[in-house]
This record gives sequence, C-alpha cells and structure tokens, in this order.
Amino acid sequence: MRNISSIIGGFVRTVSLCLILSLSLSVSVFAQDDIKEGETLYKSKCTSCHALDRHLVGPALEGMSERHPDEEWLVSWIRNSQQLIQDGDEVAVQLFEENNRMVMTAFTDLSDEQIKNIIAYVDAETAGGGDEEQGDASQIAASQDKGISPWMIIGVIAIAAVAIAIVLVLNRAIQTLEKLVEANKDAIAEAAEEESDRENRFLVFAKAFVKNKKLVFFFVLMVVAILGVVGWKVMWNVGVHEGYMPVQPIKFSHQIHAGVNQIDCQYCHGGAYESRNASIPSANVCMNCHTTITGADHYDGSLSPEIAKIYKAVDYDPDTREYGDNPKPIEWVRVHNLPDFAYFNHSQHVSVANVDCETCHGPVEAMEEMYQYSPLTMKWCVECHQETSVDMDNEYYDQLIEAHEKLKKGEKMTAAMIGGLECGKCHY
Amino acid sequence: MKENILAMNKRSFLATVCFAVAAATVVSSCGDGKRREQRMEFARNMYDPVAYNPDQPNANFKNKITAQTPPEGSTPIGFEKFEYENTTEDYELAGEEMVNPLELSEANLQKGEALFQAYCAVCHGADGKGDGPITQDRSVEDSRGKRDLENFPPPPSLQKSDKASSSRGGLMSELTDGKIYHTIYYGHNSMGPYASQMKPEERWQVIMYVNELQEK
Repeated sequence: MRNISSIIGGFVRTVSLCLILSLSLSVSVFAQDDIKEGETLYKSKCTSCHALDRHLVGPALEGMSERHPDEEWLVSWIRNSQQLIQDGDEVAVQLFEENNRMVMTAFTDLSDEQIKNIIAYVDAETAGGGDEEQGDASQIAASQDKGISPWMIIGVIAIAAVAIAIVLVLNRAIQTLEKLVEANKDAIAEAAEEESDRENRFLVFAKAFVKNKKLVFFFVLMVVAILGVVGWKVMWNVGVHEGYMPVQPIKFSHQIHAGVNQIDCQYCHGGAYESRNASIPSANVCMNCHTTITGADHYDGSLSPEIAKIYKAVDYDPDTREYGDNPKPIEWVRVHNLPDFAYFNHSQHVSVANVDCETCHGPVEAMEEMYQYSPLTMKWCVECHQETSVDMDNEYYDQLIEAHEKLKKGEKMTAAMIGGLECGKCHY
Repeated sequence: MKENILAMNKRSFLATVCFAVAAATVVSSCGDGKRREQRMEFARNMYDPVAYNPDQPNANFKNKITAQTPPEGSTPIGFEKFEYENTTEDYELAGEEMVNPLELSEANLQKGEALFQAYCAVCHGADGKGDGPITQDRSVEDSRGKRDLENFPPPPSLQKSDKASSSRGGLMSELTDGKIYHTIYYGHNSMGPYASQMKPEERWQVIMYVNELQEK
C-alpha cells in the first residue's frame, strides 16, 4: 500500500510539475514578447542618450528599477519628466539636479504598457547580462584561487628535478665521449688531414676560376649589372617618397573611418575644398563621435587605448564628461610633403577642377595605415596636366571668355581687368 | 690563355647579360614598396619652408604650437558672433527669432545637399531617416582580424512621415530653422557641435536642405 501511494504521489507531483512548468513557460513566452517590444522601443527611443552600463548623455540605465522601485513613478518620469519636475515631485527634481539639469525627451506618444515593456527589457537585459558576467568572473576567480599556489609549488619542484636529471645525464655523456676520443685517436687524425685536403681543393678551384677569363668576366658583369640597377633606382628616387608610411602617434585607420563607416573625406579634411592645405582635423572633430564611441566592446568594457590618446589630447574626462584646460596637440607625422619651392593648392584641384581625392591619394578607404600613393614628382604633375581636359563650367573661365570678347571688339584692356590688382600677384 | 674577351661566343654573351639583368631586377624588387623611413634627399634645406607651417612644432611659443589660438575676445573681420547661449531657453529663443538670411534657390539647395551628405548623412542618413552608415551593424577585416564595430546611437528621423519626436519637445519635422541652427552650432545629446566645420552661410544652406527632408 505504501508503495502504491508513493507511486501515485510521485505521479501527481510529476503532473503538477509539468503543469506548472508549462504555465510558467507560457507566461515567460508572453513576457518574452513584451521584452521584445521593449527592446525595439528601447533601441529606437532611448539609445541616442542612454546606455545600460555607462553614462552617456543621460545616466546608465542599469538597476533603474532598484533605484526607483515604484513602477508607476518610473512610467510617468519616462513619459514626461519635465511635467513631473514642474509638479514639484521631490525625487524628480533631485534627479534633474543630479544630472546637470539635462532635459529628457518627453514620450507622450508611448502607452503605459509600452513604457513598462521598456523597463522590463532593461531589467531583463541587465539581470541576464550581469549574472553571466558575475558567474564568469567568479568562475575565473575560483579557478585562479584553486590553481595558483599548489600548481606553482609542484611546477617549481618539477623544474628542479628535471634540472638535476639533465646535469646527471650530461655528466654521463661527457664521460662516454672522453672514452670514445681515447679509443678513436687514429681516425680523428685522418679526418683532420682530409679537412686540410678540402681547403686545398678550394684553393685549386679559386685559382682555376681566376684563370678562366670568361667566368671572371661573367662574375664582374653580374656585379656591375646589379650595382647599376640598384644605383639607378636609388638615384631616380632621391626625394621621391612614394610608399612612405610613417608610424603615427595614434593608430588611426582610414579603412575603418573612410571605408567601413563611409565618412566623407570632407568631414575631416574640409580645408581641401577651401584652401591650399587639406588640413588635419583638430581633435574636436574626433570628439564628435568619440564621446560616444569608446571601443569598449574590444577592450573588455574599458576605453580603447587609442581613443584614450584623443581624450588625453583634448584633456577630456570620460567619467565626468568634462574638458580640462590642459590640451596637448596630437603630433601626427606628415606623410605628403612637397618641397617648399613648389606651390600646390588643394582647393584649386578639388573645388575648381573637381579632381577626386583618390586620383592622387589612391585607395584611402582601404588603407589601414596611411601611405603616400603617388610619387609627387614634377613629371607626375606634368603628365596629369597634359592629359586632363579643363572643366570650363566655372566663373573664372566666364571672366576669361568675357575678356576675350572685349579684346575682339577692340576695347582697351588693363592689367587690373585681368586680375592685376590681386594682392597675391605681388605679395605672395 | 690570351684569348680576346670580345671573341666570346655571342650567344653566351647575350645570355649572360640577360641573366645579370634578371638577377638585378629580382634583387631590387623586394618588399611591397612601403617604407617607414623617407628615402634619400638632396638639399633638404630647399624642402623646408623658411616660415613655419601651421602644423609644425614651434619653440618660440610656450606651448610649442605654431597655430596659436587667438587671444580671448578677439574677433576676425567680418565675423558674426552667435549671440545665443547653449541653454534650453536660448534654444527656444533662437527658434523663434532666427530667420534664414539666404534666398531659397537651386544653387543654395544643391550646396546644402552636398554639405548634408558630407557632414550629416553619416548619422542622419542620406534621406535624414536616422539610418546613416555608422548607426548600422558593420564589421572590418584588417591586421587585427575581423571584428564588429560599435554602432553609433541612431538619431531620430527628420522626415514628417516618421513622426519622430525631438528630445527638446515637438516633432523633428517641425523644428524651426533657428532651433536647427542652434543645434548645429552647439550640438545636442550624442551630436557634437559643427560650428568649427561649417561656416554660417553653409549652416543655413544645410538647413535649407533639411527643410526639404522635413517635408517628406
């Protein structure tokens, strides 16, 4: 009897367990749907100011339901924080002051349900992620605790034992070798003779080589040809730095920025469109994106050492998100350097002639490190100037044509009319 | 042994020359053509300018920089100071008071579009829908191996049809010119300030183009 009752009891327990499991599963499926909606909303509405684990524009959202357990309050805060502040809610006012009176967007278009889904998503994400990380961390810590001390001792003992064994074996080997030498004295002497014979043979070969004029001529010709080609290359490349790829102070990759991210050349080198110099961007241009992009994904959650160099250059503290007053310029190494006796103007080529940047700078979008693609020699300039047809569609040529028309009509043309009064004509 | 070198067999002479040249070519074509150091230079002093280049170090100044920041309060000729502060109140005020001084013309619109594509589209997307390339999933393969790159948080869409709301109230598509100008000048949230990259005229040209996107 006892057996049967226990079997029935077990059966009942299994069934009820199954029921509970399936119920909770369906509940969690519901919850999963909610969390999914929350995720879409979170990604479209929140991520431009908030991150889960770090302060961006607004504070980190991790643990927000613990800081504010009253869900109704949290919902009304998220919907319209300014309303809450104006109504004089103490917590709201305090929170506003703590975050430098930064106004958070009002989301009056979201329903209670939707905001709760966002909260659920944030909770699920931080709880799940956090546990895993903690688990991993504690595992590592545990394995380290268990591992280090006993293994180190065993290792040291093992190394000592191996060392002693090696000494013993070597001693034995020396003894054996000494005995062998003693036993084979004659053979060794013979070998030495053979060695001197071989030297003699080399001398004989060298003498024969020198006597053979054809061979000597061939050899000399080879040396002259190699020296000639190397010399020719070196001489022609004096002052030509094609392929020059200096080590830069920051490992900036044009492949990532211009290639993968598709950032326009003009974004950083706007000067190329307006002035002689293409201009190296000042570090504040880097900070347009790198206040947010820290490369933490690839450095276990901490700041990328290369991006840290930008922060140091502009004296920026990523924790307080404030700038200090001790900026230090980044000393980039100049790659393209024309001699001072050659005048080159970027804007004339880029804005007026519509030459693509790639024409001279090559496939920059594929360069992990910047190098000089073109030789920048006079021959190279002249060749391009001989081939390129002029784009006549600009005001300069309109003026030129106008001047020609006047000439044809026989009107008087002064130097001033063709730009003779421009400052740069004399004072350059 | 007194044979003349020139009497050497013609064919073997030619072969020798060919071989030597080939060997020289092989020897001299080593490497991928990239080098860390500059090549030899003749008369270096003809390359270096007498005056300082703006990006050169300069021992004459305490901070060793050639391109010095102008003294505080100095204003270049023709420079118009932006009178509004970086506060919510001044943002609203700029939104009410500022008017685009440029004439609505095809040329201005075209320039505005070009500038928008160069400076804004990276985040805001080519059509202002907030889907620029750096907000999307993407990966790079280089000497450090293949890896995913961090996504920049996407900005709200500028288009009317998307009904996205601005973080400072109202819809993105209803932002007035002054508000957009204020945001370009100072930046907001994840967006950095663009005052150093665009001149006032260029900002207005961009705004003119943004107005077109807002209508979509």
